[in-house]
Amino acid sequence: MGITVQQVIFVCLAAIVLGAALFVVTTRNLFRGALMLALAFLGVAGFYVLLDLGLFAVAQVMIYIGAISILIIFSVMLTCGMQAMIPRNAQAGGVAILAALLFVLLALVFGPVRLTLDLTGVPLLSTLFRTETPRVVGDVPWRYNTQAVAETYISDFGRALVDINQFLLPFLLIAFLVDVVLAGAILIARQRKPAEVLAEQQEIAAEEAAEAAALRTAEGAPAMPSTAAATVADH
Amino acid sequence: MDVISNLLKIISDFVAELIRSIFGFSPFLAELITMGLAAVVLATFAALSFMGLTYVERKVVARIQDRIGPNQAGPFGLLQPIADGIKMFTKEDTTPAAADRWVYNLAPLVIAVFALTTYAVLPFAPGVVGTNLNVGVFFILAIGSGSIIAILMAGWGSNNKYALLGAFRTVAQLVGYEVPMLLNLLPVVMLTGSMSLIDIVNHQTTLDGNPGIPHIIYLPLSALVFLISGVAETGRSPFDLLEAESEIVAGFHTEYSGMKFALFFLGEYVNALAVSFVFATLFLGGYAGPILPPYIWLLLKAALVFFVLMWLRGTLPRVRIDQMHNLNWKFLVPMSIVNLVLVMLALKLFPASAAAQAASGGVLVSPGAQAVILMLINLAVLLVSLSLVGRAARRLRMQEEALLAQRRAANMAMARA
Amino acid sequence: MRTDFAFVGVMMVTAALLMGVTLIAAALLRPKKPNPAKLETYECGMSTVGDTWVQFRVQYYILALVFVLFDIEALLLFPIAFAFNSLTLFAVANVVLFVLVLLLALIYAWRKGALDWE
Repeated sequence: MGITVQQVIFVCLAAIVLGAALFVVTTRNLFRGALMLALAFLGVAGFYVLLDLGLFAVAQVMIYIGAISILIIFSVMLTCGMQAMIPRNAQAGGVAILAALLFVLLALVFGPVRLTLDLTGVPLLSTLFRTETPRVVGDVPWRYNTQAVAETYISDFGRALVDINQFLLPFLLIAFLVDVVLAGAILIARQRKPAEVLAEQQEIAAEEAAEAAALRTAEGAPAMPSTAAATVADH
Repeated sequence: MDVISNLLKIISDFVAELIRSIFGFSPFLAELITMGLAAVVLATFAALSFMGLTYVERKVVARIQDRIGPNQAGPFGLLQPIADGIKMFTKEDTTPAAADRWVYNLAPLVIAVFALTTYAVLPFAPGVVGTNLNVGVFFILAIGSGSIIAILMAGWGSNNKYALLGAFRTVAQLVGYEVPMLLNLLPVVMLTGSMSLIDIVNHQTTLDGNPGIPHIIYLPLSALVFLISGVAETGRSPFDLLEAESEIVAGFHTEYSGMKFALFFLGEYVNALAVSFVFATLFLGGYAGPILPPYIWLLLKAALVFFVLMWLRGTLPRVRIDQMHNLNWKFLVPMSIVNLVLVMLALKLFPASAAAQAASGGVLVSPGAQAVILMLINLAVLLVSLSLVGRAARRLRMQEEALLAQRRAANMAMARA
Repeated sequence: MRTDFAFVGVMMVTAALLMGVTLIAAALLRPKKPNPAKLETYECGMSTVGDTWVQFRVQYYILALVFVLFDIEALLLFPIAFAFNSLTLFAVANVVLFVLVLLLALIYAWRKGALDWE
């Protein structure tokens, strides 16, 4: 059996995703890290294409590159003085170990890794697991999906979303979940701006003059954080 | 007759056959080369139309503004794009010392690549399409998000305050106007039952043996909102806040010069043309049309849409940033949602095909009647929204006037005292 | 289906190559005489003071979040629109509910002034 084009593409995509992911976790430059994260997302979209799930590939690009990456970059930009500060991560070692353990676990659960545990001689564990013979863990054969994706998978997915016996409840819950997330974000964001909260309180206090106050602030406040404000920062 | 109308298809089939016969030893290689050639042709078409459009747009806008426009290079200034090209090639290109070189240099490339990739799914004539994706409409929108990343790259990589401010403004605008675009594509997909652009064209060409109806008749409001958000998505006047010279110099491409600047420009024009093509395909029936060959019809329709874009550019002043956001979030989006809900219900209550009626009941109507019902709903939503906005605007104006009168009275009192 | 997407990949690579060649050709043709003044960051003739990385308005983040909300909505609605002809009235009523719940979020953001751009 020769190497198929798909395998070559898969390896290339895997290399891109892994390389980009490694860059993300090792770089000190947050913005470049965010860009590489977007590249990794693009690679994952490629995997979806290889799985014949074009809709999810396109959705991956749209949601993760078009929305989530931008959200991440915006939140990086919101963090004041990021350029001067070198972000440090004291938990890197622990996370690395945890990730390695998770990888082993996944390899055992989903992969062909075979592990023989001989607990017969160990005093506590042998009673705990009640093993007289060495136990084999893992050895799950790779799960090939030999069934091709149905041509109609998009409309099947659409129907399943609104089918009461399938995903109707999660579908409606998503709407509420997103609502709650948005409400929370607005609440937090408003708390971070004391000036605005104060203005709001004043608005409530002076009911008739509320509109007038809003008008005046709209005239007075600059539309953008001006460069004049930026130049105040020390150099 | 047939030869002319199928010209593009005949040529492409001939070339594909030729390559297949040359590379007979490896079907994969033949396929790859065929695709590569098609990609080169599409990219060249886009790049050439960019050159042509810069000239046409300058001439048309000049005429609208009672000027002559380019008239020095060649007869009628026809060689202007070539002169521009030579200038772009030979202009010194400075990279600011403070820039993040990798990000700065890659940004124009990324924006151009994503802009050109849109053309991979546009159907130019029956059988002449880069690739007929079953998620075509969705793909066009998704590929736009690549440009957003590129703009952020340009803004951040330049290490320039104006560039960064411009990039942020642009991104806020682009992501905002993607929402009405998405919401107004949904009715089209519902009508067609497919996201493939070819299926959408076919739905407007033939309906159960009868001649089809362009979607603009079904969904005039969706078409209008799609066009408005399309203009905003390409960052053209009146939504060209990203390059509001008086505020942020030239926006995210302040620091770019020479060929890199040209690539940003190419991205803008190629995107604008893509919007014209997509609008023509989704709402005006694409390449369908009598007598003339299909590709001519598509070009004519796209040219018409592009002319509207130029017309807007020539006549409308730039909107303010708060007006831009208000128009989107407080007018287009709510209106689109209401429209979407009503269209959904109408499609279920008045199905046009027996299959659809079998699924949900309702009154079976002819496609024509369905079109009229949807059009009336669309127009009603538009009129109600406009009158609501009108009332709100009147109220605001009256408040403002009352406030002014109050101030004037206070000033008078002060002066008297 | 994946063969449909193959052309998209080829198109991206081709476009990148063509544009890359254009950039390289321009790099070979153009003059290159840098001097410190040219390499300065442009700020209307003034020399730059302070970091470029100024803190941005939280407004941008909120708008992006509202956008994510509608993006997810659209992502879920497109497959439904795909299957629209075969849906029952009950299913469509649920879709309408879904859309209206999201409209609620927009109205909330509107009332809270998150959509105002001063």
